[in-house]
Amino acid sequence: MAMLPLTTESDAKRQVSPELAASYKRDLGIGEPLGFLRPWEKLWRGERLGTSAQGITGDELARKLSGSVGVGLMALPLALAWALGFALVRTQWRKGRWAALGDIVPALAFGTPVFIPALLFAPAVVERGHMLPELTAALVTSLWPGIFLGTLVGDALETELSRDYVRTALGKGLSPGTVLRRHVLPNVLPALLDAVGPVATTLLAGSFAAERVLGLPYFGQLYVLAVLNKQVAVVVVATTTFASLLVVVSLGVEVLRHVVDPRSREARA
Amino acid sequence: MSGVPSRARWGLVLLVGLGVLSLVAGRLFPDTLASTCPLGVDPMRPDRTVCELAFGGLWVSLAVGLCAGGLATLIGLLVAAVARLLGGAWEQTILRGVDAVFALPDVLVVMVLQLAGQSLADAGHSGGLGPFGLMVASLALVGWAGPARMFRNRLATLEGQEFIAAARALGGGGTHILRVHLWPALRPFALAVFLSRLPTAILTESTVSFFGIARMEPMSLGRYLGTSYAALIYEGGSRVVLPAWALLVLLVLGASLASQALSASPRKAT
Repeated sequence: MAMLPLTTESDAKRQVSPELAASYKRDLGIGEPLGFLRPWEKLWRGERLGTSAQGITGDELARKLSGSVGVGLMALPLALAWALGFALVRTQWRKGRWAALGDIVPALAFGTPVFIPALLFAPAVVERGHMLPELTAALVTSLWPGIFLGTLVGDALETELSRDYVRTALGKGLSPGTVLRRHVLPNVLPALLDAVGPVATTLLAGSFAAERVLGLPYFGQLYVLAVLNKQVAVVVVATTTFASLLVVVSLGVEVLRHVVDPRSREARA
Repeated sequence: MSGVPSRARWGLVLLVGLGVLSLVAGRLFPDTLASTCPLGVDPMRPDRTVCELAFGGLWVSLAVGLCAGGLATLIGLLVAAVARLLGGAWEQTILRGVDAVFALPDVLVVMVLQLAGQSLADAGHSGGLGPFGLMVASLALVGWAGPARMFRNRLATLEGQEFIAAARALGGGGTHILRVHLWPALRPFALAVFLSRLPTAILTESTVSFFGIARMEPMSLGRYLGTSYAALIYEGGSRVVLPAWALLVLLVLGASLASQALSASPRKAT
């Protein structure tokens, strides 16, 4: 059986020594004008951030961030697949005695922190390699966002299916599949896009726990270790970088929505 | 309870039941629980049974969730009320700030706040906050934005109703209307918002504690899992993880059922 990569730390490591306190001051430029830019200056000059060999350079940071984004990008189609599957199943459940499952499954998914399925999979996948840990991380990260999206899409689907234009299209002889594809899904898409922004954030943030448990040496692992080891300069840079990434993702989703949904263009005009 | 929807009643019964169970089993009679636990001892701590650790952890997690959820709801309510009272450009500015806080991922910000709080505590400036207080404060500082948005929207809807227009026409001031007319109509919604914050706070605390960042003592469910995960490398080690997971899921299920049912069909104001 594989050893799990997660480690716990001793209380001794938590104490802030006078040297570490001095390094906080030095690394963060406390008391100096524009001192908060100091970690970025160091990064720009190609110097290593942090107070020990556990620090990081700009290139390493970019590499680790791209790894986490890669896991997030793998998780996104998985989440969409979960969403579509759950939306369709939930629409079926609504009509029968399984209706309560439509509420229980989202609660089950929401009540399961990412690290629990990751822990259950970890012994089997950690040392296999061949992208299996990455795929597992994407899978466990996509569970809750997928079910959340599925709930929203299911509700929107149900609302659209009950509208007059659907009945008219069916009455004119179109097949249910064609009605769904050509008329209903384009109207469901805006609801999906509304939720993709928060879901992308959840996927990126959720991958932190999966990376930590599955031993993936990416951004999440870096972030948690930086906090545990009190590498404040690394935390500052990593937090700013991650927040910027989230802003870019949200902006991208807004632009996509503007392109896809004519109603959003009309509302702004 | 007659006006409460049945799903909300089930959710509340589940929540209160878990709370009472964790209090009785985890705090009042831990010895009885230890001697009757069918799951055996935790391989990583041979002196404690899985039941003791799981129910003890549930009690701590629930206490953190209740305090943090309550505080976040209170802050959100205050921010929303102030925004509505100020109105105009001030309200819009406050709302943009609320949106900015809402967009931040909870776990990341709580980790940063824990780092800052622990560094201050190590330097002797804890401000009287222990690990429990620091976790509650961190979760509340992250979690108030969602309730603030919800309360602001509900207040705006309520203010559009005729009885508020009548109260204004009779000379009622902003704070008077808020206290006498709006608050009674807002109370069931406030309970729903609080219940919706409860699982989020518990899950965020569990994740941060699992990473080993928070120093929750006695151990919460997350810290318990974070320190006992290595049991998974033993045969049948999943019995350590599964009970804690089941308790978390039940907690979230209860809070979600109650919150959704209460926010979907709030009781009529009396």
